[in-house]
Amino acid sequence: MGLEDQLQENVMTTKVDAMVGWARKNSLWPMPFGTACCAIELMATLASRFDLARFGAEAIRFSPRQSDLLVVSGRVSIKMMPVLKKIYDQMPEPKWVISMGACASSGGVFNTYTLVQGVDQYIPVDVYIPGCPPRPENVIQALMKIQEKVAQAKAN
Amino acid sequence: MENQEEHQAEGVGRPGRPGRPGSNPEAVTARIRARFGDASVRDGNAVGCESVIAERDALLPFMTFLRDDPELTFDYLADVTAVDRLKLDEAVRFAVVYQLYSYKHNRRFSVSIPVPEADPRIQSVVSVWPGANWLEREVYDMYGIVFEGHPDLRRILMPDDFGSYPLRKDYPLHGKGERDNFVF
Ligand code: SF4
Repeated sequence: MGLEDQLQENVMTTKVDAMVGWARKNSLWPMPFGTACCAIELMATLASRFDLARFGAEAIRFSPRQSDLLVVSGRVSIKMMPVLKKIYDQMPEPKWVISMGACASSGGVFNTYTLVQGVDQYIPVDVYIPGCPPRPENVIQALMKIQEKVAQAKAN
Repeated sequence: MENQEEHQAEGVGRPGRPGRPGSNPEAVTARIRARFGDASVRDGNAVGCESVIAERDALLPFMTFLRDDPELTFDYLADVTAVDRLKLDEAVRFAVVYQLYSYKHNRRFSVSIPVPEADPRIQSVVSVWPGANWLEREVYDMYGIVFEGHPDLRRILMPDDFGSYPLRKDYPLHGKGERDNFVF
């Protein structure tokens, strides 16, 4: 006779990792780092038509200290990169990063003297979204990839 | 009515449609030559408005005259920019260009001042049009032309420690390694 039989349907047994991962992945708090046109598409993703709230990620925080998902959406110049690094450092662990669009991921068409050719040279990136700009569906898919990753993370 | 008479004054504009392009295209240059002498300016080659090429030596009295003369009244400095004519057939490499506008006469005017590469300096016009402040900083940032008398001549777009002037024609598009070696 197992424990489940005694407790019946009121209680469910699981592992801490699985439960915390499930809670985390369904309440991601994104920090938007929108520096260019991609940020407009990110806003569209959040708004009613695509509604990122369906994935539990609608609580956009403009303070890095309250967020666990950094969305880099737009060009990052060499003058802006220290700012982005500081924001990343200010986010509490655990944290994840989406690099949205060609510019954030590789510099895009702006292969010039002033543009960082991919933010992953300076901060770790979990999911890259190709496109210029990516459609909201791509952003949603990236968020779901992050959710898969979050669900597998260790709780501590 | 009083205003209209003013526009009719010697060679400037025409009644009813003051200062439209084509309404006496040489009016401003004639006025400048009457004041500073025939040799003071050369005809410019701006497209769409009257323009002159002047020397940098007496820039401030010249610009102050453009602003204060009742028949010119260029009360608005729309832009300050520069041209690097490195590969063009020009004796002097740079030119600083001032785009002026007169609200009173609804007229635009362009002044180009050659600035040699060996001595890239020019007077600041912040004392004439305070709006020149950031415009001149941008020209300094991009071309390395120093504006003497500017109250706060720092870079405005590039980081402070950026060593080059990126809009100079001999500066490579991908930079000189700044994007890989910048300071955090
Ligand atoms: S990838 Fe395209 S849409 Fe996104 S910031 Fe760059 S230029 Fe703009």
